[in-house]
Amino acid sequence: MTPDALNRLVAQLAKLPGIGEKTAQRLAFHVLRSPPDFAKGLAAALTEVVDKVRLCPRCFSLHDGPADTRCGFCTDARRDDKVLCVVENISDQLALERTKEFKGRYHVLHGVLSPLEGVGPDQLRIRELLLRLEDSPIEELIVATNPDVEGEATALYLTKLLKPLGLRVTRLAQGIPMGGDLEYADQATLARALSARREL
Amino acid sequence: MRLLSLTCQRFRNLSEVTLAPSPHTTVAVGENGQGKTNLLEALYFLATLKPLRAGRLSELVQFGAVSAKVTGRFLLSGAEREIAVEVVPGGRTALVDGKRAASLESYFGGVSVVAFTPDDLAVVKGGPDGRRAFLDRSVFNRFPAYLEESREYARALKSRNRLLKDNAPVSHLQAWDATLARVGARLWARRRQVVGEVAPRARDAFARIGRTEEGATFSYAPSHLPHVDFAASDEAQLQQALGLALDVRLRRDLERGFTSVGPHADDLELALGQHAARQYASQGQARALVLAWKVAEIENLEASNGFLPLLLLDDVSSELDPERNAFLMGYLAERGAQTFLTTTDAHLVQRAVGPDTVWYRVSGGQVSRREA
Ligand SMILES: Nc1ncnc2c1ncn2[C@@H]1O[C@H](COP(=O)(O)OP(=O)(O)O)[C@@H](O)[C@H]1O
Ligand SMILES: [Mg+2]
Ligand SMILES: [Zn+2]
Repeated sequence: MTPDALNRLVAQLAKLPGIGEKTAQRLAFHVLRSPPDFAKGLAAALTEVVDKVRLCPRCFSLHDGPADTRCGFCTDARRDDKVLCVVENISDQLALERTKEFKGRYHVLHGVLSPLEGVGPDQLRIRELLLRLEDSPIEELIVATNPDVEGEATALYLTKLLKPLGLRVTRLAQGIPMGGDLEYADQATLARALSARREL
Repeated sequence: MRLLSLTCQRFRNLSEVTLAPSPHTTVAVGENGQGKTNLLEALYFLATLKPLRAGRLSELVQFGAVSAKVTGRFLLSGAEREIAVEVVPGGRTALVDGKRAASLESYFGGVSVVAFTPDDLAVVKGGPDGRRAFLDRSVFNRFPAYLEESREYARALKSRNRLLKDNAPVSHLQAWDATLARVGARLWARRRQVVGEVAPRARDAFARIGRTEEGATFSYAPSHLPHVDFAASDEAQLQQALGLALDVRLRRDLERGFTSVGPHADDLELALGQHAARQYASQGQARALVLAWKVAEIENLEASNGFLPLLLLDDVSSELDPERNAFLMGYLAERGAQTFLTTTDAHLVQRAVGPDTVWYRVSGGQVSRREA
């Protein structure tokens, strides 16, 4: 009989993506065998992340400041206010950020249009994007959704919506393999795609 | 290209088995329902990543198992390579020499297969969707990239159709049109090229086996695309034409709830003389048309690849009349391609058999060597 506390930990770990029952068990035993400080640190980090990290009310990226304040990407004065990069999700934003090529602002949609999964424009942060455009000096909008069917449709939808506002709308160049994921593209490819972006 | 060995694990009803096929003809003999087609399907799936029979990938996994795996060792331009595909919950994994394939090109590189099944023999008399699928298998054999392209098209089409049914705002609907037009034009161009290559050869082959006065024609052109010279338009023009047609037909499409123009709405047209083969051809002629197409496809692949494709013939002999079966078996023996045949009756394939033919018996999912 394994202790209930251990079973509970294994069950929780097994809920993580990519973690099966066996791996969960291995991780749980690792925690058990490690010095108690490790488990305490891990637990504290887990609690802190949910207590402190929220979405930035401006760009909808991650933010750990007080509520109603904006995140570092939005407030960093060295970043260019005139260029805005629209991404599907936070991991894509972080992938672009790792290239160190992009110095403008971000906007995270939290998804893409996907009729098959019941996601329409209202389920994305598109209204917030439009509101944001009203009070910012943005001149170019880079649509960095993935080059798959849904990402393309989302890019087109945004273009039709935003072009009439007199913005320059561009799309990442096709350096990324078709059907590929931004998140997994290597940095050189991503940097090339960014610098060779095309007009929409 | 040559298949050196084939291993099936937890695939449909087959017990785990490794085959050592002949460089020429390999025959699987067995009663109905024993697993002969399953064996061919394993090889077809390995070479195309598509099941031979319509349906979901998960159907390939043996009842009660969670995954199925097919592995083949191939000799490709002098080098030995192992490709494997595993059906796992939610999808499939393609492996080259034990590592996840970096791209489909690297996976397919040099492997080519043509299958011929009793279902094919029914396409002439059947509906347009059967003929489209028949044509698409040929296109895919010629251009492996077609696999991803047609998937992409299908996904965009399904999304747009869903929005049409839900009466979504036009702004949302039209976001899918550009992808449909771009990928749709690609599918059109690919189909056009393959029909252009295969049709003349098929006409010649039919003249040899059709026992028919009228010549056979195989032609393909998009439906609902008036004012467009299909043969003379390049891909960019086709893309523009499809984009336009989607626009023009939007109201009708909204009323009916589906997209009415594009590669998914076309037909491969077969005719004898002036008459549509679907209404006019006898059953024997209909089968000869399909046989002629397959022979033409094999020759065309040899011309474009520089080597013969693997041939898979599933129980075809029992469906052909003796004379046409004799032609087919004689043709196979003469071409010398690496060939896999299944049959319930070894006599039917006798003419395709040579000194190096390898025989297997299939019974209750067990595959075992047998003497001629
Ligand atoms: N996923 C599966 N798991 C186990 N058995 C299967 C599976 N799919 C099909 N079968 C069985 O395979 C048999 C049919 O095999 P098939 O290859 O079509 O026979 P044939 O020798 O007539 O070509 C049937 O008995 C069917 O129940
Ligand atoms: Mg069968
Ligand atoms: Zn922000």
